[in-house]
Amino acid sequence: MTTVELRGLSRRFGNVVALDHLDLEVHDAEFVSLLGPSGCGKTTALRIIAGFEWPDSGEVLVDGHDVLGRPANKRNMGMVFQAYSLFPNMTAQQNVEFGLRVRKQSRDERAKRARELLELVGLGTAMSRYPRQLSGGQQQRVALARSLAIAPSVLLLDEPLSALDAKVRVQLREEVRRIQLELGITTLYVTHDQEEALSISDRVAVMSDGRVEQFGTPAQIYSGPRTAFVANFVGTMNRLEGTVVSSADRIVRCGPVMLNVPDPSFNHLAGETVELFLRPEDISLELLSNGDKPPEGLLEGRVTSLTFLGPVTRVGLATDLGPLLADVSSGVALTLAADTVVAIRLDSTALRSIAR
Amino acid sequence: MAQVTVPVAQTGSHRLRRIRSRVPIWHLFWLLIGALFFLLPVYSVVRFSLQGILPGQNPLHWYLTVFDDPNFKTSFWLSVQIALETVAVSLVLMVPTVFWVHLRLPGLRPVMDLVSVIPFVVPPIVLIVGLAPFLKTFSTWLFVRPEVLSLIYVVFALPFMYRALDAGLRAIDLKTMTEAAESLGASLPRTLVKVILPNLRAAIIGGSLLTVAIAMGEFTVASLMGFTTFSVYTYNVGTSTAYEGVALTFISLLLVWGAMLGLYLLGRGGGGAAAVAIKD
Repeated sequence: MTTVELRGLSRRFGNVVALDHLDLEVHDAEFVSLLGPSGCGKTTALRIIAGFEWPDSGEVLVDGHDVLGRPANKRNMGMVFQAYSLFPNMTAQQNVEFGLRVRKQSRDERAKRARELLELVGLGTAMSRYPRQLSGGQQQRVALARSLAIAPSVLLLDEPLSALDAKVRVQLREEVRRIQLELGITTLYVTHDQEEALSISDRVAVMSDGRVEQFGTPAQIYSGPRTAFVANFVGTMNRLEGTVVSSADRIVRCGPVMLNVPDPSFNHLAGETVELFLRPEDISLELLSNGDKPPEGLLEGRVTSLTFLGPVTRVGLATDLGPLLADVSSGVALTLAADTVVAIRLDSTALRSIAR
Repeated sequence: MAQVTVPVAQTGSHRLRRIRSRVPIWHLFWLLIGALFFLLPVYSVVRFSLQGILPGQNPLHWYLTVFDDPNFKTSFWLSVQIALETVAVSLVLMVPTVFWVHLRLPGLRPVMDLVSVIPFVVPPIVLIVGLAPFLKTFSTWLFVRPEVLSLIYVVFALPFMYRALDAGLRAIDLKTMTEAAESLGASLPRTLVKVILPNLRAAIIGGSLLTVAIAMGEFTVASLMGFTTFSVYTYNVGTSTAYEGVALTFISLLLVWGAMLGLYLLGRGGGGAAAVAIKD
C-alpha cells in the first residue's frame, strides 16, 4: 500500500513561481493526473516527488514518511520521461534489467522479470533489439517496463506519450491504464492533454500557476468546473456573463434574457456579477420556418459557422446572449447552412455558475 | 512476346560513367587537388628514402639501418608509453569533469570552452618555461623522469580531448539518461561508468586518437627537457644522415597511421549516441 501526499509544496525559479503551496493527496493504487497548461508547475511537482528537484518549502510524504531527505536513487520510484530515455548501448532486455542489476539480483531472476515485463507491454519478441531499432511507441513501452521492473512504490509518468503519433498515443495510454490496474500501483501522470487525463485517471488535478485549481474525478472536472480556469481549460465551454437578479430563485440576467440556474452550487447574492458556463452538447437546436418566432423559453439564433467534427458538427450561433457554440449530430447539421434561423434550447440543468 | 531485360555485369568504364554522372566534375577536381596535397609529400619522402644507396646494397637499406638501431625501439616505445599515459591522465581528469559540468554546472561551459583553448594561444616554449620550475618544485623525482612529459602533454591535448568529450555529451540526452538511471537506483559514478561512458565511446576514441598523435609527435618540450622521444630521435637521425632520417619519417608516419586506424576501428564497433526512433 502506497500513498503520496504533497503538503504546502513551493518552488520558485528566480522570479517565476513554479509551485505555490501545492497540496495533493494520492490514495493507494490510485491513478492521478496532473493536468494543466505549460508552465503550470505539474512537471516540477513530479520531479520533486522523484527527487530531481527540491522545493523551497513543503513536504512530500510517501506512506506518511517525508522523502525529501532521500536522494532520487533511494526513493524506489519508477519514472517514465517525456524524452526517449532508453540507454542506447543496451538492448530492450538489458534496459529493463538495469535497475535489477543495481539491486544485485541474480542473472536468472533478472532475465525472468525482464521477459515478464516486456511481455506485459507487448514487446516479448523485441527483447534483443537496441533502442535505435525500436519505434518511439515501442521505446516508451520498454521505458515503462524498465520503470516497473524495480517494483516501485510509486510510478511517475512525465508526459510519456507527447512525442508519439495521435493513434499510438491513444493505444498506449489505454495500455498504461490496463497495466496500472493490473499491478495496482499508485501512479502520478503529468499531461497537458485533457482527453488523455480524463480518459485514464481515477482523479485529475487541474493546475494553474503552481496551484491545484480543482481536484476530482474526470466526471466532476468535466461536468462541474469550480473555477473559470477549469471551465475554460477542460473541454469547450460557452461563457455567459450575467447579474444575479434573485438569489433565492437563482435567476440571472444575461443581456435581455433571464436564465434560471438550478446549479446546486449556486451561492451568489442578488446584484453579484457571475459567469455562467454551458457545454456545446447541452444546447439543442430546432429549425424555424421563415418569420416564425421561437417557442416560449427558447432563444432565437442565426447560424454563423459549421465545423464538422465527425459524429457531431459544431454550430456557431449569433444570439441575444452573444455568440454560442452548439454540438448537433452531423446528420441534423446537414439541414443547416450559414444564416439559417434556429430556435435554441439551453439545458439549464447543465448551467454552471461561477462568481467573477 | 514480352521483352526481358537481363542485368549485365558493369564494366569499369560503365561504373566510371555512373560515378561521373552522380558526382559533379568540380567535386572530383577538388578531391584530386586535396589528394595530391597530401600524397605528393609522402611520395617524395618514399622516393628520397630509396636514394643514396651504393651499388649492390638492398634498395630498403635505409629502412633496415633504422630497424637495426637499438635507439629506434627505445625511443619509439618511450613515446608510446608517454602517449598512453597522456591518454589515461587526460581521460581520468576530463571525463568526470566534463560530465559534471554538463550535468550540474552548465553555466560553467563557456569558462571551460575558454580554458580549453589556452594551449592554442600560449606557445609550447612559454608553457614549458612556466611549467618546468613548477614541476621541479613539485617533485624533483618526477621532473627527471619521462612521465613528466605526460603531464605536460595533457595540457597540450586539453583542447582536443575537451572538444571531443563536449561534442559527445551534447549528442546524447545526458540529463534524461542520468535521471533515468538514478530513478532505477544507480549512483552517479555507476551511471557514469555503465550508462554514459559506453555512449561516449566514439568521443573518447576520437579524443584519445588526437592525444596520441600529439604525444607521439611533440618535439619542443621533449627536446628542451632532454628526453629522447621518438620525434627527438627522428630529428637527431635526420641531422646526421638525411636518407635514414627520411626513411625514419616514413616509418613513423606508418606507425602513427596504424595506431590511429587501430583506434578508429576500435571505436567503430558501437556505442553510438544517436538513437533514431523508427516511425510508428
